[in-house]
Amino acid sequence: MSVKIQQQAAGDVVDHITHFEVASFLTREARALDEERYHEWLDQMLTQDIVYQLPTEEVRYRRDKKVIGTAQTTYLYNDNHAVLSMRVARFDTGFLWAEDPPVRIRRYISNVDAMWAEVPGEVDVWSNFIVYRSRGQRDDSTMYGRRKDKLRKVDGQWRLAGRVITLDQRVILDKNVHCFF
Amino acid sequence: MKPINELIQQDGAIQDRSIYWDEDIYQKEMEHIFARCWLFLTHDSVIPETGDYQVTTMGEDNVIVARQKDGGLKAFVNSCTHRGNYVCFSEGGNARSFVCPYHGWAFGIDGELDDVPLEEQAYFNDIDKQSLGLQQVRVESYKGFIFGTFDLDAPSLVDYLGGMAWYIDSFMDVPGGMELIGPPMKSILNCNWKNPSENFIGDGYHVGWAHASALEIAGGALESMKGLNDYSPDSGLQVTVPEGHGFGVIWDAAAALHPGPPGIAYQKWLDQRSPIVREKLGKTREKFYNGHWDATIFPNCSFLYGTNTFKVWQPRGPRQIEVFTWTLVEKEMPEELQQMIHADNMLTFGTAGILESDDGENFENCTHANRGFATRQGRVYLGMARGRERTDAEMPGLVSDGWVNETSTRGMYRRWAELMQGTPWAKLSVTAKTDAYK
Repeated sequence: MSVKIQQQAAGDVVDHITHFEVASFLTREARALDEERYHEWLDQMLTQDIVYQLPTEEVRYRRDKKVIGTAQTTYLYNDNHAVLSMRVARFDTGFLWAEDPPVRIRRYISNVDAMWAEVPGEVDVWSNFIVYRSRGQRDDSTMYGRRKDKLRKVDGQWRLAGRVITLDQRVILDKNVHCFF
Repeated sequence: MKPINELIQQDGAIQDRSIYWDEDIYQKEMEHIFARCWLFLTHDSVIPETGDYQVTTMGEDNVIVARQKDGGLKAFVNSCTHRGNYVCFSEGGNARSFVCPYHGWAFGIDGELDDVPLEEQAYFNDIDKQSLGLQQVRVESYKGFIFGTFDLDAPSLVDYLGGMAWYIDSFMDVPGGMELIGPPMKSILNCNWKNPSENFIGDGYHVGWAHASALEIAGGALESMKGLNDYSPDSGLQVTVPEGHGFGVIWDAAAALHPGPPGIAYQKWLDQRSPIVREKLGKTREKFYNGHWDATIFPNCSFLYGTNTFKVWQPRGPRQIEVFTWTLVEKEMPEELQQMIHADNMLTFGTAGILESDDGENFENCTHANRGFATRQGRVYLGMARGRERTDAEMPGLVSDGWVNETSTRGMYRRWAELMQGTPWAKLSVTAKTDAYK
């Protein structure tokens, strides 16, 4: 009987079933985004209190930890549900010229590692990604990175409650990061 | 390369398309513009303490700008004087020295050569270290904004800004001044550097069309512009000064791109500060303080005052730039307001910004359409409101009614042509003095 309690301790690797559910969720989420099912993503895959972030990190020497001047973590994304909904609403306006013809985006999610979080029932999930974007006829880019997610069950279904995205490029080698990771 | 007077015609209204594509023209720009003009490096607020530094570029020259022990500033080329390697590989931080990883030559934060390994045993103490410091860059700052130039003959920074200084004082001269929040976001755009510079200096025209989707969802004061349906020339102004700088302003719209609570908080701040600005700088500049600006300091430093995005377009060849983006705030603003403005800047003009992404596509395509040989023989046109420029008793340079206008853009290309002809500083145009601008 004590086995179950140990499995739920923060930092413990999740059981097989939970791992399977979490990994499946991430795959399903990636496909929903690939297929531009943004409203389904907002309404059925995110929690209402989601925090969705993409911070930038400076290229600094290992030994030089000093925070200089006004420097602070700059977030390319630092969105709550309302801001994410606003970004999605922009797709619906019909005036988003850059996405018409549509951009083709393919998300590859791997290296899924899930552990029970501090809050009972929540799971911390790390995953790596490759996001490939193809625009127009021959404009394309590939971005690599990592996500640290927080997942929580709402009405028996896993939902994304938090995401911190790390992009490996300091200088974004594409014109923008105007896509969900 | 065609003669300059064929590349730019009709007083800046016509551009030969080759200026956005050709390698030889780009190399001339590096020589006549980027190696001569004052170029934005960083801001006092970014490197306040001894040894604080940033690595940036002037044209394609990699430079380090560092705070000195006496509080002053030095900038120097990031390339070892022994075999040419970079001496700094971080983008900024705090340092006591810069040590080349190739042979260990150590340079001070002033760029002087301090230490050479095996100086006694291998050089037999026969090395003139004083003559082997890193190549120095001339540095000056204006209201905390730090610029550098490679040209020892260039006028002072304040003279280089010319009539633009009178205008930017509208917000740079507020009590406490301005500061930049960094570190900057950085991204690559495959466009010529002039495409974004001309967009920021005076392309009010694109706002309602290119950004229609963002205007619709963000709402606020600019929403009526969506689809270019509604606009009155009384709503703003464009300004160009002979030094090549310029801007467009929309009256009473500083907070327009901050919908919701941030906009309310920002408007409250503006209302509170306005009397101070009026007292110090007069009614006209109080009006500028409350306006929303799109501006470029020639050649490649642009900002939107109000939205408060601050950018440098670093050239990386004729068809590529690296974009640096900071947030511009008043130093005396409450921290909470600064953070709201910073967050809004990321959301609108950050690398994931909902307006930035529209612009990036347009800039790249405006450049790349010129890859076609026949296309490149043609010209592009900036003739909007031509001939309607006027001088003003108070405002320096030329002004023209309406922020949807191309007056300031033509001014940028007039300056471009003057510089590209290799005109010496003494013969370059300068802003005529007015009662207000002396």
